[in-house]
Amino acid sequence: MIGSQKNGSGVRRSLRLLIVDDSNIMRRRIERSQQFEELEVVGTAANGIEALEIFHKTDPDMVTMDLTMPQMDGIECISKLVQLKPAVRILVISALADKATAVEAMERGANGFLNKPFTDRQLNEAIAELMS
Amino acid sequence: MNVAGADRNRRLITAGAGTALALVMGLALLAGFRLATQIRSSITALQTASELQTYPSVLTQQLTALRQRLETREYTGQAHEELAGTVARFNSDIRRLTKRSDGQSPQLQDAARMWQAYRPVLAPILAFSGEPYIDTDSGSSLSDGGKMYYGDVRQAQLLAKQNVGRLHRLLTAVTDSLEEQTSGAAARLRELLSGGVLAALVLAAAALYLQLTRARHERVAREAQEQTRDILKTVREGFFLLDADYRIGTVWSEALTHIFGRSDFAGLSFEKLLEDRVPPGTLATAVKYIKLLWGDRAHENLMKSINPLGQLEISMDNGRGGKETRYLQFDFHRVVGPKGGVKHVLCSVGDITSNVLLAKELQEAQENANAQVDMMVGMLHVDPLQLGSFLDTTETGLRLINAILKEPARTDAEFRKKLGGLFRELHSIKGEASALNLMSIAHRVHHLEDTVGELKKKAELSGNDFLPMVLKLDELLAHLRGVREMATRLTALKPGAGSTAEPAAAPSRPTGAHTVRRSGEDLSPILQALAEKLAKDHRKSFRLSLSGLADVPAAYLATVKDCVIQMLRNSAVHGIEPSEARRVQAKADVGAVRVDFRRSSEGYELMFEDDGAGISPQLLKDAAVRKNIITAAEAASMDTRTAMALVFRPGFSTQDEVTMDAGRGVGMDVVARTVYGLGGKIGVSTNPGRFTRFKIVLPPAGEARSGERADRMSGPQGLPPGMASGVA
Repeated sequence: MIGSQKNGSGVRRSLRLLIVDDSNIMRRRIERSQQFEELEVVGTAANGIEALEIFHKTDPDMVTMDLTMPQMDGIECISKLVQLKPAVRILVISALADKATAVEAMERGANGFLNKPFTDRQLNEAIAELMS
Repeated sequence: MNVAGADRNRRLITAGAGTALALVMGLALLAGFRLATQIRSSITALQTASELQTYPSVLTQQLTALRQRLETREYTGQAHEELAGTVARFNSDIRRLTKRSDGQSPQLQDAARMWQAYRPVLAPILAFSGEPYIDTDSGSSLSDGGKMYYGDVRQAQLLAKQNVGRLHRLLTAVTDSLEEQTSGAAARLRELLSGGVLAALVLAAAALYLQLTRARHERVAREAQEQTRDILKTVREGFFLLDADYRIGTVWSEALTHIFGRSDFAGLSFEKLLEDRVPPGTLATAVKYIKLLWGDRAHENLMKSINPLGQLEISMDNGRGGKETRYLQFDFHRVVGPKGGVKHVLCSVGDITSNVLLAKELQEAQENANAQVDMMVGMLHVDPLQLGSFLDTTETGLRLINAILKEPARTDAEFRKKLGGLFRELHSIKGEASALNLMSIAHRVHHLEDTVGELKKKAELSGNDFLPMVLKLDELLAHLRGVREMATRLTALKPGAGSTAEPAAAPSRPTGAHTVRRSGEDLSPILQALAEKLAKDHRKSFRLSLSGLADVPAAYLATVKDCVIQMLRNSAVHGIEPSEARRVQAKADVGAVRVDFRRSSEGYELMFEDDGAGISPQLLKDAAVRKNIITAAEAASMDTRTAMALVFRPGFSTQDEVTMDAGRGVGMDVVARTVYGLGGKIGVSTNPGRFTRFKIVLPPAGEARSGERADRMSGPQGLPPGMASGVA
């Protein structure tokens, strides 16, 4: 399980999660619906550029990434995040249902793909798979 | 079972056992050879010892005989010789025995020492030569030499007699010892030979076992191979393995050959397999996906869920020189090697064309069923008279289309003229069908329009190009018959059916080119329904006000309806702005469309007006240039009035995308042509941003040219002469 290492004092460290989506409602939905105690939401971003800024500050272990966003889209943002931190685990959450987009995202470095709309169960299963 | 591993172990065991047994056999043979050599030596020694054993007594006897002969003065020569021979053999034999390395028994050494004691005694005897007797008159007597000789013999005889027993025992003991040695060696040799035979038996048994095992393994492997071959031959899916270079391995199922129509798969890259059969974008995605399979970033389930080749549309040769579309389903499974990591990717591919086509058929059937229900529901809301009128008019229209199709034509221009006529007629039918919300008919006509549109794009036209039209037309006619039948049934169900003087339950089929219409037929419900639908479809908000339509004479009913429908569509698509845009221009959110029909001094006047965006002459010119109706130079020199007249040109539309309601460029030219056909006039005036107003003047009904529908199919291609236009 990535990120669940212990630090020097033996305290279990949380997995840091960054949520990237241009919809405020969707960001709140993901934040509220995920049920993992070890996940700590360290930031939310509404576009790729904002995501990169928060990524620099918070160094998250996991990212949920929308694809269609203003300023910098998700595909480009994934490439940049993976360059910054190859070990980062990225779950793409997008309404773009075509397989080509999913393959493109995976090729850029995403680790999981979830289509919108999704149920809480689907979200948590996708996150669990990402964490394993 | 790991066949390869078992086979390797079997070979190792075979080699090990074979080597060990060969070593054992070699050692046994070597030891046997040594033992045999030893036995042979022992036997020789034993023979010697056996002979030697007799010598002491023989020697004693010979010495005794020699002494007696000397005493009796007999001839001693032979006895002397025999003694000399015995001594020589004794010497030789005992020397041979003592030379043997393994024959140095204490008894032999004692016997040798004892024999040494004989030597000095026997030496003078053996050295004697000459005559031992002297013959005298009194007889023979011993000579001096003979006396000495006799004395030596007597001494030797005494020694021999004295030692014969002991020497014999010693030599017997030597013989016994040698016998013991020989029999011991023989026993060991027997044991060795037994061991050798046993080892040989074990070796033979092992060889037999290994041979049997090998045969069994070979049989199992052969059977496995045959089964694999049978599976690959019988299975309906194409199976193959991809290596790390994304190339197909050397084994694949026979179905793959049928699916792809080729058999040279070995070493073929996956990209090459699909190249030229799928669009480049799809191919690129497929290749990316295959590469992802070799990584460990994504789980098997996720990879399965994003498989872009789950239903792949592929273009294949149909074997008759043409192409056909087929649908293939690819599945991919990672084959993990013994040390982890992806070793191969197993691909299965199936031809799911029939499934896909069946699904499409089912979907179409479902859509048809839904459309039938929708239509039935829609028909329940349509006035039976209007429906009957529509069906009559449409059938007449379709007959006209048939007539157009049958018209002899040879030149490209004639064919294109045909297309223009077809287009306008179809557009008119579609408009009426939409107005009545008979969408199944409207959609079918729309598809017919698509076919005509495709033909228009062709560089050269021939009579054969129109054949698909005929088929689709037949289908549409069949559908119309179905609608008519349904209408009959529905009308029969309606309360009060048959009580009216002219029941609409059985809308009469037209008996000629014209249908006799009742005067005062109310167009309002159709137009209001159409306005509602258009507003909804185009997300516009407007109110339609109608006045005077009840006064439309029967002869003009269809014309007025067609014209208003077309202008209403134009208003909904181009004229009325979205509410937000209207608000910005300080207009009321809800647009207004007004239709007014009245008698006038010239006959009748139909006014159609909307408070929408109006028409910009410049936009008209731009669109006309874009559609190649006029050149840029013509546009530049065109005055406003002529520019406004562009809306009446065949093929003109400001919209680039074709929809159900606009974009084909047939519409206002139909209106204009119809009006002109009836001997009327049409004019347009507009104020960009404020309004658009069409004014149609029709002659008194009695003076109208006959065959209103037929007329709108003919006439010159240019601007109708009775047309006026302007910008307010």
